[in-house]
Amino acid sequence: MTPMFRAEWVKIGRPRFFFGTLAAIAAVAALGAVLTMLSVGHSDYDGVPVTATALAAADGVMQGLEAVSILLGVMALAVTAAVIGSDFTHGTLRNQLIAYPHRLRLLAGKCLALAAFVAVMVTAAMAVAAAMSFAIAPATGVSTAAWHSSAGLVEIGKGYLNVLMASLGYATIGVLAGVVFRSPAAAVSVGLAYALPLEMLVSRIWSPAATWLPARLMDTFAAGAHGYHITYAAAGGRILLFCAAAVVVAAGLFRHRDITS
Amino acid sequence: MTAETPARPPRVRTKSRRQARTDLPQPPADAAIWSQGLTRQYGTRRSVDRINLHVPTGALSGFVGPNGAGKTTTLRMLLGLIRPTGGHGFVLGHPVGSPAGYLSRVGAMIEGPTFHPGLTGRANLLLLARLRRLGPERVAETLDTVGLTSRADDRFSLYSLGMKQRLGIAAALLPGPELLILDEPTNGLDPAGIREIRSLLKDLAGARMTVFVSSHLLSEVEQICDHLVMIRTGRLLFQGHVTDLLAAEDPRLVLTPEHAGDTERLAALLRDHGLRVDPPEPSTESVSVHAPEAVAANLNKIAMKAGITLRALTAYRPTLEETFLVATGGVDGDLIPRSRSSPDASVGFHSPRVPAQDIPGRVS
Ligand SMILES: Nc1ncnc2c1ncn2[C@@H]1O[C@H](COP(=O)(O)OP(=O)(O)OP(=O)(O)O)[C@@H](O)[C@H]1O
Ligand SMILES: [Mg+2]
Repeated sequence: MTPMFRAEWVKIGRPRFFFGTLAAIAAVAALGAVLTMLSVGHSDYDGVPVTATALAAADGVMQGLEAVSILLGVMALAVTAAVIGSDFTHGTLRNQLIAYPHRLRLLAGKCLALAAFVAVMVTAAMAVAAAMSFAIAPATGVSTAAWHSSAGLVEIGKGYLNVLMASLGYATIGVLAGVVFRSPAAAVSVGLAYALPLEMLVSRIWSPAATWLPARLMDTFAAGAHGYHITYAAAGGRILLFCAAAVVVAAGLFRHRDITS
Repeated sequence: MTAETPARPPRVRTKSRRQARTDLPQPPADAAIWSQGLTRQYGTRRSVDRINLHVPTGALSGFVGPNGAGKTTTLRMLLGLIRPTGGHGFVLGHPVGSPAGYLSRVGAMIEGPTFHPGLTGRANLLLLARLRRLGPERVAETLDTVGLTSRADDRFSLYSLGMKQRLGIAAALLPGPELLILDEPTNGLDPAGIREIRSLLKDLAGARMTVFVSSHLLSEVEQICDHLVMIRTGRLLFQGHVTDLLAAEDPRLVLTPEHAGDTERLAALLRDHGLRVDPPEPSTESVSVHAPEAVAANLNKIAMKAGITLRALTAYRPTLEETFLVATGGVDGDLIPRSRSSPDASVGFHSPRVPAQDIPGRVS
């Protein structure tokens, strides 16, 4: 798997792309942390008042990251859909398949490289969000004592893993869109339109759908399923189910379709 | 091995698989590319129609056909990118259905050079080299072979068309292939670029590499190829060594007497000497004889003895294209118009002739 991984990394590890995305992610994470801390004394998106006491709890340090988890997911979806889609439109996929005709292994290498990329981005976001939270908290009267405790560290770990898993889930939708549409523009736009407006609309009109629609489930999972109508374990299980199905469909198409681009 | 060993069931399975394999036709040992009834259908149209290919190992073979003939489709099938809808194909002895068996020894560029525009030429090659488990030294070597070293670290999107083509060829050369497949490698190149590619291909074929190069112009590949495969609307028209084709060559000498009145007499005279003379066309004042250039001096002497002075004596050697059409009985008028047979349109086999752009208009 390493040659395929390293080959794909030539593309996604190029400085312009890598550091450009990294900078955007860091900015988003910082924004999330700062706005979360500044929202003390106001109401959040759902109208629940945000208090300094609530943010001072052990899981308060990750609130900023969770607040922007959907943006990290969107980034993961867009990047994977664009990278996979452009291999088709640039015609670079046929060169790669001539060099390495094991299609499934090639796809697996690409997915691993993309997953590593998403993991690096989410890790950077976590670090920036945590650092910014610590930096801003004193200014807004939020105590960071519980954050420093071992319970705080556990919450950081849990929050990180939840957001990472949710982002990888979005990335899986991106891979599927890239393989199905074979063009970055179509894959990104259809993938995003599905994950955001479409799923949100459906789940708003008929709320039980939120416990079955994949992107809604990933958002639920990113927030640790706190305050959702589905348990953490059930959300995780359903996400795995969807991701497995997406991987099977993407692999099947990638393996058997003609390469005519 | 004793009778109780539990190895029996798998052995039976292996045997039945081998059985299935013997149903496949076997390619001859000397064939780098071989196919039988290779077909690709899109909807109701057959883009490649029951083609039997035989490209011998070590050949520098030209794959010629007009636009839309099915060249790229055939090459894609040979590279395992698309599946044939019928027939069998073999590359380096392996069926096209399992490209992993041979692609490590094949280099190819299909439908022009396609690379990641945001990566440098070198990074693009490095990506492919890593897939083939080759190191950056090999990338540097191939860049050097195609003369791109000085521009290797520029982004691909900034390359000129010629540089893009050369990068495409470099990618095909990466594995040091036994078989090199190039789809119209001279597309968009200027005459100097075309000459460069030609001499590169000649060098490569000299190094015992089999080269299969497609073109929509016979005139473009006939100068370097020793083997030809010609297709049209998905059908195979001709395949074989260029020498086979040249055996059917029909050179002509065109004699123009000083006085138009001597034309008839000259034609009769030459016929009396056992030469094949074309019936003179009413509008022309010259006589066309089927004979090689070597007898030109003799014909001149014959005319002089009979008191006929020649104003012009032109040797006319047909192009491979015309020879091919004669050989296959395919002179159906639409491929080569008669005007092509005028001596000024045709010079020797190895010299430049009709501008390349003229031919596509004729074909179709
Ligand atoms: N994916 C496809 N779907 C439908 N038809 C196709 C497809 N690919 C090729 N064809 C058809 O197959 C025929 C042969 O095309 P191909 O590209 O193989 O020709 P070619 O000999 O390479 O021509 P050119 O010299 O123009 O490159 C054409 O009629 C083309 O329209
Ligand atoms: Mg073509």
